[in-house]
Amino acid sequence: MNYQNQKIADVASVLKEKLEILENKSDILKSVELRSLYAEIPQLPPEERGVFGKEINQLKAELEDLVADAAEVASALPPIDVTAPFDVNTPANKRPKLLDTEAGSKHPLMAELDHILDIFYRMGFNAIESRQIDDDYHMFGALNFPEGHPARDDYDTFMTTEGLIAPAHTSTMQNRVLKKYKEQLEQGDDIRVVIPGRVFRNEDLDARHEHTFYQLEGVYVGKGIHAGNLIATLKTFLQEYYQKEIEVKTQPFYFPFTEPSFEFALSCPFCDKKGCNVCSQSGWIELLGCGMIHPNVLKEAGIDPSEYTGFAWGGGIDRLVMMKHDIEDVRHFESGKLEFLRQFS
Amino acid sequence: MKISLNAIRFVNEHYGSAGNPAPEGVETIVQKIGAQLGAVEETIPYGERFDGVVVVRVMSCAPHPNADRLRVCTIDDGGITPDVKRDENGHVQVVCGAPNVREGLMVAWLPPGSTVPSTRAADPFVMEARELRGVVSNGMLASPKELTIGDSHDGILELDTDAAPGTPFTKAYNLEGDVVIDMENKMFTHRPDCFGQLGIARELEGIQHRPYKSPEWYRSNPEFPGVETDELKLDVRNEIPGLVPRFTAITMSGVAVKPSPVWLQIALSRVGIRPTNNIVDYTNFFMLETGQPLHAYDYDKVVAQDAGATQATIVVRHPREGEKITLLNGKEIKPREQAIMIATNDKLIGVGGVMGGGDTEIDAQTKNIIIESANFDMYSIRRTAMTHGLFTDAVTRFNKGQSPLQTATVLAKIVDEIRTFADGKVASPVIDDNHLPEDMLERNSVYPAVAVTRQFINARLGFDLSADEMAQLLRNVEFEVNVDGDNLTVRAPFWRTDIAIAEDVVEEVGRLYGFDHLPLELPHRSVSPVEPDKFFAFKSRIRDILVRGGANELLTYNFVHGNLLDKVDQNKEKAYRLSNALSPDLQYYRMSLTPSLLDKVHLNLKAGFDQFALFEINKAHNKIHTEDGNLPKEANLISLVYAANDKVVDPASGAAYYEARKYLDYLTERLGISLVYTPFIQEDDLEEKCPVIQPFDLKRAALIHVKDSNILLGMVGEYKDTVKKSLKLPAHTAGFEIGFEELLEAAEKAGKSYQTIPRFPRVTQDISLRVPGTVAYQALHDVVATQLETSKPRNTIAQVSPLDIYQKDAQEAYKQIAFRISIASYERTLTDQEVNRLLDTIAINAKAELGAERV
Repeated sequence: MNYQNQKIADVASVLKEKLEILENKSDILKSVELRSLYAEIPQLPPEERGVFGKEINQLKAELEDLVADAAEVASALPPIDVTAPFDVNTPANKRPKLLDTEAGSKHPLMAELDHILDIFYRMGFNAIESRQIDDDYHMFGALNFPEGHPARDDYDTFMTTEGLIAPAHTSTMQNRVLKKYKEQLEQGDDIRVVIPGRVFRNEDLDARHEHTFYQLEGVYVGKGIHAGNLIATLKTFLQEYYQKEIEVKTQPFYFPFTEPSFEFALSCPFCDKKGCNVCSQSGWIELLGCGMIHPNVLKEAGIDPSEYTGFAWGGGIDRLVMMKHDIEDVRHFESGKLEFLRQFS
Repeated sequence: MKISLNAIRFVNEHYGSAGNPAPEGVETIVQKIGAQLGAVEETIPYGERFDGVVVVRVMSCAPHPNADRLRVCTIDDGGITPDVKRDENGHVQVVCGAPNVREGLMVAWLPPGSTVPSTRAADPFVMEARELRGVVSNGMLASPKELTIGDSHDGILELDTDAAPGTPFTKAYNLEGDVVIDMENKMFTHRPDCFGQLGIARELEGIQHRPYKSPEWYRSNPEFPGVETDELKLDVRNEIPGLVPRFTAITMSGVAVKPSPVWLQIALSRVGIRPTNNIVDYTNFFMLETGQPLHAYDYDKVVAQDAGATQATIVVRHPREGEKITLLNGKEIKPREQAIMIATNDKLIGVGGVMGGGDTEIDAQTKNIIIESANFDMYSIRRTAMTHGLFTDAVTRFNKGQSPLQTATVLAKIVDEIRTFADGKVASPVIDDNHLPEDMLERNSVYPAVAVTRQFINARLGFDLSADEMAQLLRNVEFEVNVDGDNLTVRAPFWRTDIAIAEDVVEEVGRLYGFDHLPLELPHRSVSPVEPDKFFAFKSRIRDILVRGGANELLTYNFVHGNLLDKVDQNKEKAYRLSNALSPDLQYYRMSLTPSLLDKVHLNLKAGFDQFALFEINKAHNKIHTEDGNLPKEANLISLVYAANDKVVDPASGAAYYEARKYLDYLTERLGISLVYTPFIQEDDLEEKCPVIQPFDLKRAALIHVKDSNILLGMVGEYKDTVKKSLKLPAHTAGFEIGFEELLEAAEKAGKSYQTIPRFPRVTQDISLRVPGTVAYQALHDVVATQLETSKPRNTIAQVSPLDIYQKDAQEAYKQIAFRISIASYERTLTDQEVNRLLDTIAINAKAELGAERV
């Protein structure tokens, strides 16, 4: 800092020297030199007072910064030998050790995802993780959502200032997956992929709504694949997952990227359709959206829809886990609370 | 979309379109709707709310002895109500405060014991005979509000029924057993016709495999009577035909504006639309019937907008700079630049397809009107609605893309209705500003006929329907289908906007036939095995290892508060920021995981957990690293934070750094990876190469490399003092953050770690070396280990492990490091002498290289 006023500049250099040797650095702010500068202000001609006062304040601020820096240095810990496996002079019985295995826990969503993937692997599906930030083309354009289409309103997406999107569904990966396995398809091997991942919806949190949650997308493309295959595949998965016979039903729905589109429900596996809290006494659980992949989506990935047909579905993982463990509040998942986490060892 | 089963049945029978839409009962039709049309949100027993309400005639009205505003009336209920006190004529006494109560009026009576319809939902109020200022009132005469027919409470509802006194209200107005079904709008996104009751009525027949025939007036070409009176001239200028492909309008004179007939008021209020006056109500009613929104303007008010004008002019255009409009809801808006506006020569009078203006509203004095039936671009309507937050019934319909082929048809119908029931005379020729493609008009169908084969449809549904069966399903809902062998040519009726390609026909056939008939067959696949995804598999493996080490996996949000980034000294400018974050807490995409984890330390300590290790495997993003064109690179990271409360930390156990490092060593050893820890040395681009550097305390943190490779994994260490303070971390906190993909790469390259077990005894010797305090442990270890490898007898296996590190105090110039060396041969028993010689060699080298003294 350069001071215009010679007197202030002189005091500044004196005080900085003093600061070096002071035991208690903050004493510098109470120094005689600084106080006498302030005392001079009233003696000055009025026109000079402003500039002079301003410079004293600058000096004071500079000193305060120096004191703060010194305090940080003083409280900072000394360097350590980071190449060593333990600290100097640590007795053998006090050396770092891991916590007890009993304390460890897997996140229930991740543990469940492993379980779900295992079933789909056995059913012949590949897996690939979904992106957490994507562009408009993959989220909407490649999925037959025209620009400005009202169907986009159903997805309350987060956007970055650059126009990138926090994907609201794992379908954001469909185009990539179709392209990736297109060659394999043309060599006669069906496309079978599940795509788990994190998705985001711009909605307020409550016990049943999270802005961040996990979905699992499924894509199947081949020759002669029909809507009955879709329902059968989902039913087979769910029977394996719940280890029991279940019933399924569909409701027509609308998604721009499937035609026909369905909402898929299963008979409540917890009460066998008798009615319970999990299914809100209805005996049925609406689980996911699905349908036959729209020809425009196949075309967009370079797959000929007159030769190949396929189906896709997408559903939430959080909900499966909540139902499984009777978890009352979806917000626990991302709360980071050990009280919650350690229940899932 | 709400529909009334009674209303549908009435219209079906009235026009000969079909019969009872629910011959098998409400439950069955609701189930069928769910399975073949879309989700039913609610089934409302609408008729039930009028149970007990009776149509009566007011026989006499006399002043109330004790209250100026009340009247004492007698009513004729046909003698049907039991247990009620009657006068000598058999009439019942009711006290009424309505200004419009008078002798001879037909009204709705809520007798004692009946429930007030408007109170049924929340807090049912049951009528009784009770004194009002000393005079007994047997129940009461009902206002529209009490009947839930509109919100007027200014007087009682005057009935217009011919029914005899004593007739139940439900019988007089076709409400017996009426059920309102509320269907989710979402699945009608591509079905604008289903936002009209005719559309639903047709579907109900279609899904029950019965033919439906639209009313004659809807099917046939619209006809308008000639001008019947002095002409009210109207000019229409459409300046934006691209956004308004069709604008149809007509003027009418001499209309009698009055309250609507009661049935119409019921029809609207039943589905949530407030009755206003007959003209406005008719526009709403035919919108509910057909999905085509209509708008009525006061003709004279439109003329008055233009100074000196003698006739009305409507201009369809974008707003001019600075133009504003006050809407029917009383709000003034400055319309968005690209909005479709309805204007006169001088002024805006409406937001096209969204909401009319207040200045040209129909009121009780209105005599002459303009009725508009237009078609607007769905995308423009949607954007205007979103920009101004105007979500009207018209918007709901227009933003699904109504068929432009029905504007004139619906206009003709409402003109007919107003002529018949509101004294209106046609006062202009119909104006049909029509910019639709010739071929669309010619075929009277939005898209050309779709050619499809039986096989194509069956293949996608797994059905085995014949072409004729398919054709019949489609004809039931008024498609025109030509069957030629296996080929079907399908022409959609003019109201359908969703039948453009063969797959659309597949959906239609599947839905009408019933998706519950889909054959549940699994696809066939080859027996070639599936390779589990290596990323998921590796995550699983890491998770298993860390959990075995007592760590807790958590998940935290991708979005963090800018303050958190500030607190850990990360540069917010490099983080993606949400433009529509829910709150400042969730504004930035995080650039590393550690800050999120540190944010969870304090709350867990406070919850009584004294020591723990939290970890997360997830993604982070920044503006520096991109992939796949311009997308942000999705780096997977593994972060672990170890924290312990002061009260459980033994000061003798050393720095927290070593706890974190212990976890990292534990993890990597199990993956067969050896690490090199190096002190942090400032490099210009290091922060870019390794975005996880902040918030580590660089004096007490190490860069982590994979041994014998140049893979930079990340950092391990303690956190800056300022970070600890601002996040209320305990002194004993440390952690690591490393790249997941880098770790995977290293693990894939890692060799086998198993070593053959020697048959001969292992010899163990310790060596203690004194080195200057500045010598790093690793340096000495490396000299010892290298020397051991090069000097050990052949065909032996040797290990060196740390035993002790001793330094009297920090000022002491030397420290003493002890190693334990163990060695075994695969071919013989080693002698102590040999091993001693080996240690001597190691000591000599350590001295030469690092000035180490053996002690």
